[in-house]
Amino acid sequence: MSPHRHSHGPHHAPGPDGVVLELQSLGVELGDRRVLDDVSFSVRRGELIAVVGPNGAGKSTLMKAICGLVNHDGVVEVNGVHCHDRTDRMDIAYIPQRNESDLAFPLTVGELVCAGRRRFRRWWQRPTEADRVVVDEALTRVLLPGTADRSLTELSGGQLQRAYLARSLAQQASVVLLDEALSGVDEPTTEELFDVFAALVEQGTTLLVATHDLGLVRRRFPRCLAVNGTLLVDGAPSDVLSMEAVDTLFSVRPAR
Amino acid sequence: MSWLLDPFRAEFMQRALVATLVIGIVAPVVGTWVVLRRMANLGDAMAHGTLAGVGIAYAIGVDVLFGAVGAGLLLATLLVTFSGNRRLGQETVVTVLGTAFFGLGVVVISRLDTGVELTHFLFGRVLTVGWGDIWLNIALGGAAVATVLALFGELRLATFDHVQAEQVGVRVELVQAILVVLLAVVVVISLRAVGTVMSVTLLVTPAATARLFARSLRQMTTWAVLLGVAEGFVGLVLSYHLEAAPGATIGLTAAVVFAVVFAATLPRRMPHHHRPLG
Repeated sequence: MSPHRHSHGPHHAPGPDGVVLELQSLGVELGDRRVLDDVSFSVRRGELIAVVGPNGAGKSTLMKAICGLVNHDGVVEVNGVHCHDRTDRMDIAYIPQRNESDLAFPLTVGELVCAGRRRFRRWWQRPTEADRVVVDEALTRVLLPGTADRSLTELSGGQLQRAYLARSLAQQASVVLLDEALSGVDEPTTEELFDVFAALVEQGTTLLVATHDLGLVRRRFPRCLAVNGTLLVDGAPSDVLSMEAVDTLFSVRPAR
Repeated sequence: MSWLLDPFRAEFMQRALVATLVIGIVAPVVGTWVVLRRMANLGDAMAHGTLAGVGIAYAIGVDVLFGAVGAGLLLATLLVTFSGNRRLGQETVVTVLGTAFFGLGVVVISRLDTGVELTHFLFGRVLTVGWGDIWLNIALGGAAVATVLALFGELRLATFDHVQAEQVGVRVELVQAILVVLLAVVVVISLRAVGTVMSVTLLVTPAATARLFARSLRQMTTWAVLLGVAEGFVGLVLSYHLEAAPGATIGLTAAVVFAVVFAATLPRRMPHHHRPLG
């Protein structure tokens, strides 16, 4: 049994300077098109980062490359460990766009969250009482206490995003990638999500949130990565999201 | 009561009943995942494709079950190997392979001089079910059910979100391959009692019916099995009184139950279409 079963936060040691994720010259080719080229950045423990860019700029592809869903060149390091395949990346949690999961699937909220615990056991082992405790605590942290037995279909869009965040917590992921979590979400729901983001960041989880809502990024994110074919700017939104920078961001053609 | 029990005075009907009940349990257990993973077309291809093995086994004088097992496993291997082809897509590869195997079976059987009829294999021939077959079916079916139960958690993870499942250590492709082999097992145990073609009805229809109202995976599996057993029993009784092919009658019974449940649950499902996701 893992000694970390009862802990909640990321349990792998980040690098000496708190770096949990580092990309070096990451590039992705889909077919004969180079969708991303030479993306390098590093993120530390407990950061809240927006990934911005127009549609088709490669935000989703970047996230998928980070968690090994698409082939890439360059290097992805998680907690100082060079990632070779998917199983090296269990410290990363990926929350897909809403339309990518089958929401009619008969699943309870608890079962969804418990999926994060799978990495701590073998295929023939059942979830333990300790797993159930972790699941309940994760749900409490995302402000969905006592919902473990409810059907997934009963959740609203914002609640579903939070249930996915609880799964990332149960997975004890150091880095959580949210693909368009804030699209088509109303104002109160956005507030709820940011409350949860703050709680997770507080305990050391790093969140990368893909969005194209620049207003929201200026107001709520301390750091943003602007992507369009490559990494264009990286810094505080107030510094890097000038009118000119935004113009460039939305006009540059993706690398080919 | 006698209308229900009369058919089972004859020993061959008792054997048929046991064989049907075994299928009625095993097929829906596997079928629940076939429905959830949207693999029904794979089941159909498997049901038709095993005929190749059946025909060849019959032609060379080997027990047709061995032929069905051989063809089922070969087809399963080919399906798993080639259904990932991006240019063609899964459903095209599945159809090409399934119809090729089916065609081979039909050609071989129609070239035989023994007077054996194609329909016996397609729709079953309940008279020919022996206790030996039944024991074999119980062993194979028991193994299939045990496999599904052992892999229940893995199947759930791999089906709901295969991306995350793979990341936390689930071998999604292996799970899929095992399910295709289980499909072959269901077809094989259905061969004599309901026939290869109709085996896919008990695989898909009870699970699809349960899917309409079940609120959890456990409920869905349980209801699918209850429906499979009940439809198998009623279909067999009806086929006796109607003097119709048992496999086809069972299939029709399952379809009628599906239609009734579909209609009955329609009002409950309708509002969901219009409910905003929030």
